[in-house]
Amino acid sequence: MNTVNLSIFNPTDLVIELDQSTIDRAWLQSQTAGNPASRWQNYLNQVALAVFLPWLQAEEDATAKAQNQSAEQAAIWEVVNGTAIAIKDAKLVLIPSEADDLGELCVPQEWIDLPNWAADYYLAVQVNVDAGYVRVWGYATHQQLKQGSFNQSDRTYSLSDDQLIGDLNALWVARALCPNEVTQAAIEPLPELAPAQADNLIERLGNPAQLLPRLGVSFATWGALLQNPNWFRRLVATRRGVLTKTPVLQWLKQGLSELSTEFGWRQIELSLNAEGSRGAATVDAVVPAFGLAKKLAIAGQPYELKILPLEEAGAWRFELCCLTPGCLIPAGFKLKLLTSELENFDDNEDLATVAVQNLSLEVDLDPGESLVWQVEPTPDDYQQEVLQF
Amino acid sequence: MLPRQDPVEIFSTFIKFDYDRFGGWATDTRLRRSMRQSLTKLAADNPDNFWALYWHQIWQQQPTGLAREHLAAYLQEVCFWSATKTITGFSSSQYTVSDCFQVAIARIDKVLQGFDRERGFNLKSYASITFANLIRELLRQKKEIDICSDWSLLRKLSQKRMIEALLDAGLDSEIIESYVLAWNCLKIVYVPDRPSSTRKLPKPEPETWLAIANLYNQERHTQLKQSKEAATAENLEKWLLICVRAVRSSLFPKLNSLNDKKPGYDTGEIVDSLVGEVDESLLVDMIVREEMEQRSQQHTDINQFLTATIQQLKPEEQKLLELYYALDLKQAEIAQELNTKQYNVSRKLSKVRKELLMALAQWSQSTMHISLTSDILDNISSLLEEWLASHYDSN
Repeated sequence: MNTVNLSIFNPTDLVIELDQSTIDRAWLQSQTAGNPASRWQNYLNQVALAVFLPWLQAEEDATAKAQNQSAEQAAIWEVVNGTAIAIKDAKLVLIPSEADDLGELCVPQEWIDLPNWAADYYLAVQVNVDAGYVRVWGYATHQQLKQGSFNQSDRTYSLSDDQLIGDLNALWVARALCPNEVTQAAIEPLPELAPAQADNLIERLGNPAQLLPRLGVSFATWGALLQNPNWFRRLVATRRGVLTKTPVLQWLKQGLSELSTEFGWRQIELSLNAEGSRGAATVDAVVPAFGLAKKLAIAGQPYELKILPLEEAGAWRFELCCLTPGCLIPAGFKLKLLTSELENFDDNEDLATVAVQNLSLEVDLDPGESLVWQVEPTPDDYQQEVLQF
Repeated sequence: MLPRQDPVEIFSTFIKFDYDRFGGWATDTRLRRSMRQSLTKLAADNPDNFWALYWHQIWQQQPTGLAREHLAAYLQEVCFWSATKTITGFSSSQYTVSDCFQVAIARIDKVLQGFDRERGFNLKSYASITFANLIRELLRQKKEIDICSDWSLLRKLSQKRMIEALLDAGLDSEIIESYVLAWNCLKIVYVPDRPSSTRKLPKPEPETWLAIANLYNQERHTQLKQSKEAATAENLEKWLLICVRAVRSSLFPKLNSLNDKKPGYDTGEIVDSLVGEVDESLLVDMIVREEMEQRSQQHTDINQFLTATIQQLKPEEQKLLELYYALDLKQAEIAQELNTKQYNVSRKLSKVRKELLMALAQWSQSTMHISLTSDILDNISSLLEEWLASHYDSN
């Protein structure tokens, strides 16, 4: 990637260069999205967050962190643009855009008028993946945006470039010198939805053919649905058709050491034993050098589910073990794999008849084949996912 | 270029270009008349600065009147030098100094609106920064637009820019509304299917056009206020190509030459408004004089404070400011000079600027009893940029 010539930007713009691994990682993580528009939205937000957050932590506020867990964040990007960041005593929202002309900052109404979502500052972030940079070129407070123009047809609040504060340094100085400045305007409370009404809406707006669910009903109704985390989760799951794909093999082939995904998978090194017996990879069937692991909580106890590639290409081992030292998996626990159509196949489950060290299953898969995993009893926060190999 | 000396000339003549070079000064007779008339009424010790502030004050009351033209005349050299300096930062720009000059001076309203008469140092230094930023952005954008295929270009625009381009192309609001919806539908349906190389998106396939048309026909009921007629895939393709053409031609519009008629030229209105302006001139004169007095004290204070603050910075920070503002080096050149990465230069510059902004804000709070808000910090930040530019310029 070319080095960005910083002299072509205005002196108060914050320009951060993008490297190829950031782009690759963001792209992979965006693949769980339900449709191409959501995927692209997810990708741009991932890129913006991946470069801005480390900069923020290094330069201004070591405590800064993404406001939402990655699963919630991905759910938001499924339907709304923007990423919330919590700093010491305020909340920022990044509004990424591909627009190159920096004409205006357009903030979706959700980030302004939903009480749980509203923030103090909104940052205009230009993402140009081809030129290899992310640029923060202005910002505004909630109050300023609320006084800006409101576009009814796409439900956004916007301010033009000359109404924005161009120098991001002004934000940090404001936090230091006038921390009590009122940044937020008053917000109207939203009506409550009856559960039956919510079910109805989830069915209707959950239809993936509805490309703009946020504009499908009145804002008050839509907002009330989003404010309830359970309803929101169900809406997004319905839109994705429940079967969200996790591209296991693709992730492992890329060898991303800091991979952390929406479903909580992280990359792990294979143990020496497994590594030692590894033969040279054949040309077209490379055996990954890493495995994946995710933490599960079952009845309040921590467990870990691992997916490990075996010596032979296409052979995989699934393993469930307990994370507390000395702990065993109680009798009655079951690890189970299903086809992507949720059908059983031979030797697809391992049941603990007595307390055991671990439960495990080994499978041979063709490239592109998919599986769904289940554990009984069902882990807390279990979300059905399709693992693609 | 021979600098203009006489106040009448400074406020009534415009640069003539001889291809890409300065080719002399052209007089606008109506501005000359207006300036002469004003000079018989008022006299000033510091004519340059006085008349700039005077016309700015009048411009605020009558944004489209003669005052704007006087100020455009006044800022000719500044704009010319900003164009000359900025264009050298771009390799292989197909645009000439004259192109950049024309585009920048046409956007003079941005300078006039942004200038803070109460606190700003002087209109020229503010204009110099604003013109340079404007030209830099335009050149960069133009470059990006030229690289992009038609279909990628459509993803690179803000809605505001799209609407402006369509208005420039002379379309009416009903059509613009439909086109903007069509454009938004395209952006939702036709997204890149890979993480980079998004500047060369090909024309959408027929089934993609159908999907765009479906979305359009679904959304038109709620999103359109005027004509809610259905559209076909063929309609949409045609409309979006019109959008592309409008955008490509709107960034560097063909400007009317200065010898062309200006709005209101030669009509009776001008004479009437001239009379009005002169009647008001005494009042404006009073305001401007009072402001100048206050400002001059304020400027001395700020100047002293910032000069002292800079002297307390670390030597390498002082050096950095000097290389950037006084020598106008590019960041890559500074990096070479300081034996570091370009990336570090921009970080350090931003840090030093923040330090100065913090100091100046605190100082304004305690000595001028200004209660700080985000908006005021925004003003202080541009004031600081202006001061840095003029401070290092004069050194």
